[in-house]
Amino acid sequence: MSPTDGSACAVELHGFAKSYRLGWLGGRIQAVQALTLRLEAGQVLGLLGPNGSGKSTTLKALAGLIAPTAGECRVFGHRAGSDAARPLVGYLAESPHFSPHLSGAAFLRYCGELSGLASTTLQERVTEVLAWGGLATVGARPIGTYSKGMVQRLGLAQAIIHDPTLILLDEPASGLDPEGRLALHRLIRELAGKGKTIVFSSHLLASAGAVCDRLAILGHGRLLLEGPAGELMGDAHPLIPTPSRLEQLYLERLHAYG
Amino acid sequence: MAETPWSALPASLRRIRALARHTLAEGLHQRLTLVGVLAGAALLGGAVGLREFNFGSAELKFLEDLGLGSLGLSGTVLAALMTPLLLFREMESRVIYAVLTRPVRRWEYVAGKLAGIAGLLAVYLMALSLLFAGILMWRGLQLGVGPLLPRFFFYACAMLWMKSTLVAAMTMLVCSYAGSVLFASCAGLLLALIGQLRPWATGGGLNWLRAWPNLGVFDAERLLDPSITPTAAWGLGLSLYWAVYLLLFGVLASHGFKHREF
Repeated sequence: MSPTDGSACAVELHGFAKSYRLGWLGGRIQAVQALTLRLEAGQVLGLLGPNGSGKSTTLKALAGLIAPTAGECRVFGHRAGSDAARPLVGYLAESPHFSPHLSGAAFLRYCGELSGLASTTLQERVTEVLAWGGLATVGARPIGTYSKGMVQRLGLAQAIIHDPTLILLDEPASGLDPEGRLALHRLIRELAGKGKTIVFSSHLLASAGAVCDRLAILGHGRLLLEGPAGELMGDAHPLIPTPSRLEQLYLERLHAYG
Repeated sequence: MAETPWSALPASLRRIRALARHTLAEGLHQRLTLVGVLAGAALLGGAVGLREFNFGSAELKFLEDLGLGSLGLSGTVLAALMTPLLLFREMESRVIYAVLTRPVRRWEYVAGKLAGIAGLLAVYLMALSLLFAGILMWRGLQLGVGPLLPRFFFYACAMLWMKSTLVAAMTMLVCSYAGSVLFASCAGLLLALIGQLRPWATGGGLNWLRAWPNLGVFDAERLLDPSITPTAAWGLGLSLYWAVYLLLFGVLASHGFKHREF
């Protein structure tokens, strides 16, 4: 499946709205309202905002897990969630808990099989993404023995196992220590360098802004602000993620003690 | 890597196979499975203990009767409890997102899950059937009638498996709409009970229940009646009955899951 013609945007939300029903008899809660957003292929978009601002709902709609109540969500010109769109998308949910008894490699093989990778290329691809995520030495270990950072990198690896064009990451840095967060940001920039389009959500404004080409700030389900990260962040916008002075000090001390 | 016969399968079947294998592995790692095996073994052990209260029947006949009943009951309960447990655990852990954002259609997901649970039930019933066969042989030797297995033992095991998979499919239908493991398990058990009592659903406005599958036809104890001789046509008819209802519940569950948001 190809991302269709070059004219289509990687991500296109037009008047997207989503409301959830509160129980069988309850009313509805509006998660996202009239969200219109476009993202060109090859860009990294950071969806920022507090909890409950509609970031996860937007990502889920783009992944095809939920249907819009109003408006439309398109991925490379295809309706999000359609048979044409799904092979183009890789998705990492917020704080996933993968089966603890499975090894990282076995879980990636499972994801690869579901993505339709041929058995001839599957093992090769699993080895490749494990190495990319820095998990090559622990690939055979059960996921239950992984640290939070390793699980998150495994999550990222499963999202790209089928080499998607659009990668959706829901709070990928949540719960990670500064070192893990930096490693994750470098991986994101590396993917962007390969021409992938990435949309990720975060409520950590400064650190998320450091890896994005564009930023969109959501609040109460509405788009509050959107634009190039360079413009919105001013001088403090390095495209190669670098640690702050405090993070630098933290990492130095940590590494000094092995 | 060499091409395996599986790689010739259509993509859909390969996805269903992957889902089924994963579900089976997940099921085998659940504590509930171990509890189910222990409970099933305890029921079979209880049948040995209760042989003194056989109300005049021959002991081995009593053991066969109670043992097959125990296998049927534990298979049914495990199917009704394990189906929601595996599904909702996958939802809570958010692994379901890693599955459904891939080119996996909802019906493939349901078919894969059902196939995995059917595999788990086959392993479970096989393990308990072996234990049951061992008990019968041991008692047969002790009573001096030689090693003994009920006639049509394997037919009986197949019937118990069909019954439990049908209960799993009914519960899967509930799961496609339900919001909790507890509700889905209770509803699954209730539907199984309705299926078991279905032959008595006559008159009093209950005739509409006759469309519900009669789980009584899968009661393996029926085979202990010497007047019943299973024929190939009988087996085929029973399998067809099972397949039609399994397909029906599978289709309805797929429909429910198609519209479900996660």
